[in-house]
Amino acid sequence: MLGFIIQRLIQATGVMAVMSVIVFCGVYAIGNPIDIVIPPEATQEIRAEAIRRLGLDRPLYEQYFIFISNLLQGDLGRSFVYNIPVLDLIGTRLPATLELVLISVLSATFLGVSLGIYAGYRPDSWVSKMIMAVSVLGFSVPSFWVGLILILFFAVNLGWLPAGGRGETVEIWGVAWSFPTLNGLSHIVLPAVNLALFKLAMMIRLARAGTREIMLTDTIKFARAAGLSESTILRRHLLKLISIPIITVFGLELGSTLAFAVVTETIFSWPGVGKLIIDSITVLDRPVMVAYLILVAFLFVTINFVIDLVFALIDPRVRHGVSA
Amino acid sequence: MKYLNFLTPLTFALGLAAAGAASAQTLTVGVRGGPESMDPHFSALGSHAEAAKHIFDTLVWSGTDLQIEPGLATSWSPIDDDTWEFKLREGVKFHDGSDFDAEDVKFSIERIPVVTGPTTTAIYVRRVAGVDIIDPYTLHIHTDGQAATLPNDFIRLFIVSSEAAADYSTPETASEGFNSGAATIGTGPYKYVSWEPKGDLVLERNDDYWRGTGAWETVIRKEIPNDSSRLAALKAGQVDVINYVSSVDYLALERDANVDAIKGDSVYIMNLQLDQREKTPMVRAIDGSELAENPFRDLKVRQAIDYAIDRETMVEVVLEGLGKPANQMMPAGFFGSSEAIPMPEYDPAKAKALLADAGYPDGFEVDLYCTADRLPGDGAICQGLGQMLTQVGIKTNVNAISKTVYFPAQARLDYSMFMNGWGTLTGEASYTLGGLAHSNNPDVKLGAYNRIEYLNKDVDTLLQDGAKMMDADQRRATYEEAMEKVMADKAYISLVQLQTVWGAKAGMLEFAPRFDEDTLAFFIKPAE
Repeated sequence: MLGFIIQRLIQATGVMAVMSVIVFCGVYAIGNPIDIVIPPEATQEIRAEAIRRLGLDRPLYEQYFIFISNLLQGDLGRSFVYNIPVLDLIGTRLPATLELVLISVLSATFLGVSLGIYAGYRPDSWVSKMIMAVSVLGFSVPSFWVGLILILFFAVNLGWLPAGGRGETVEIWGVAWSFPTLNGLSHIVLPAVNLALFKLAMMIRLARAGTREIMLTDTIKFARAAGLSESTILRRHLLKLISIPIITVFGLELGSTLAFAVVTETIFSWPGVGKLIIDSITVLDRPVMVAYLILVAFLFVTINFVIDLVFALIDPRVRHGVSA
Repeated sequence: MKYLNFLTPLTFALGLAAAGAASAQTLTVGVRGGPESMDPHFSALGSHAEAAKHIFDTLVWSGTDLQIEPGLATSWSPIDDDTWEFKLREGVKFHDGSDFDAEDVKFSIERIPVVTGPTTTAIYVRRVAGVDIIDPYTLHIHTDGQAATLPNDFIRLFIVSSEAAADYSTPETASEGFNSGAATIGTGPYKYVSWEPKGDLVLERNDDYWRGTGAWETVIRKEIPNDSSRLAALKAGQVDVINYVSSVDYLALERDANVDAIKGDSVYIMNLQLDQREKTPMVRAIDGSELAENPFRDLKVRQAIDYAIDRETMVEVVLEGLGKPANQMMPAGFFGSSEAIPMPEYDPAKAKALLADAGYPDGFEVDLYCTADRLPGDGAICQGLGQMLTQVGIKTNVNAISKTVYFPAQARLDYSMFMNGWGTLTGEASYTLGGLAHSNNPDVKLGAYNRIEYLNKDVDTLLQDGAKMMDADQRRATYEEAMEKVMADKAYISLVQLQTVWGAKAGMLEFAPRFDEDTLAFFIKPAE
């Protein structure tokens, strides 16, 4: 087991090193931030001074080595636009994204799995058909459009919920959260629904397919034959058997939503990291773009690492390198 | 209290929480962009200065029409060729109760080059060579040579407290000190309460403000960059006023009884720029072959392009009426704009004749570049321009692209024909002509933004002379002459002056739009 972990750690480090080069070169190859940020009335001299200050006069490899040596000391640089450390900037925005994403992914999973199991268990009832129709909608309607409709209907026409922003926050352990207050919660509802819709549809489909497949297997037949009640079969056997693909998808969805809740955050002016990255791209704030992409790569490498470990714990064939 | 109409058990709690936030003494403003830092010396962006003006005062104030007025300085005059004397306002207090005096001005001027960020504010003090304090309310500012427009530069010279900011005046400490509020002590109409990057800026009234007391006890500036979201926030009652309503939404707002649309002239003018180099990259013959020379170097071709543009249609159709035809690079009435310049005519037949005359009877093909995400209507104007030019035979491929791609490419001189918005933010001609129309010459610090290699020796001479003329009338005449020559050359073709729209809750607010598009809470009053 230890050998397996070490081997996976080395692989993960390698992936991160390659990613850092790709991200850095990719971001630094696009445009020149100076031409976007500098005011037009600046003299030639002031322009040269600004380029020197940002270190843009150095060759690319030098900039990369400065970046990497700072990174290894835990310093991801300072934002061009805000002149504050990038980690602080991302750190102040992460809780906003975190609470939005957790609320939407968790509720989508619980609701989606329950509805999916029902739809798989009673595939011919009209309720199941309704559920499946809703899931098709969730898949096919673009989320920016749903977001705008939600705002138009609930915020503008009905005036029930706020149109955007984060609302009142409460500090817990020095971090601002908005879910503990009513006002904060009212701000979360619409973006969370918007974000959850696609995931809900996916979870329904995943759970339904799993249920239909497993209900026909011998396991369930024997369980029924043994006289177990239907609810015990569903909870004990079915849920356990369909949970492996659902956990995998849950993990990856959590990661990708954390990293790319961009559209929802933009439409609802939600001050999270997704909006930060879009804002940074429009002004070519390179340190923020690089740091963010590196952190996202790190997030996915970590999630994959953890998923591998969990599988290895469950399934001995994985850790012994036997192909399944 | 529109929430009360919708009280159902489900929404009772939510509605109550939202309604509690609104109160008569609070003004909530939804803005497209906010400050980058609470340090007023960090960035020269308009949105940054707009936020800073709530907390800090400037030495010289630029009025609604951008002509200069006394601010923290009550008067200024040149006392010799390279010295200006500034008299300061007496009895002004900082938010912490300390007195404002010459020491704070000297401190602020000297601090700027040290702490400024990439969008550098050093441009406001670029001509300052030294500052002498004569007495607590008199300063002598020495310049590197004659600097006639020094007071115009000072419209964004924000004065910070020399005591409060003393420990926060290195690049490392500045943002920390100002963002936390420790050094955010100004003499302006509002005091700092809290701010987070891209989030809310919360301010409370300064009751001892020298201009008088503001109408709002609390001001909240919410940053909502997305145009639709900002409008939704206004319609949902989350904010009282928003800036930069898009031209599409403007039409809908006009019909909406719950919202007032306030329209104002903008300082931004769209200019078509024609590359003057001998070889230019993006022009070819209709059959795709290379042309013998750059057609834009021929005055007849440039005149033909000018005749091909229907500015009235551009305003009425493309901009939904939100603009005015422009005949020069500054709005009328600005220092150095000329009344002698006629409004260009639209005459496609003449344009075709001129093209044939210049040796292009079949026209030629060109790629036109412009931004699509910087100023209201920029992409649409570009599309319209492409059609108008194509009609007279100049086959135009329109590329309306993101500013992140456009500006670096423009700086590399990649383009042959491109359209730029330009705002004369200082209200006078040296700002515009000095940057665009003078040949690019680092020795005299002029022409840094001349990306078409435009060169007219007479214009160069006029601009260099004008920069040294301390007599305002003489300088005005010189700049007017330079403007006339530049516009006659048609290398820069001014198209339209934009207008900006604010949205506000119906019947709630009164304010006068400013040319620089600033939304300043102190000048917004509740309607009677």
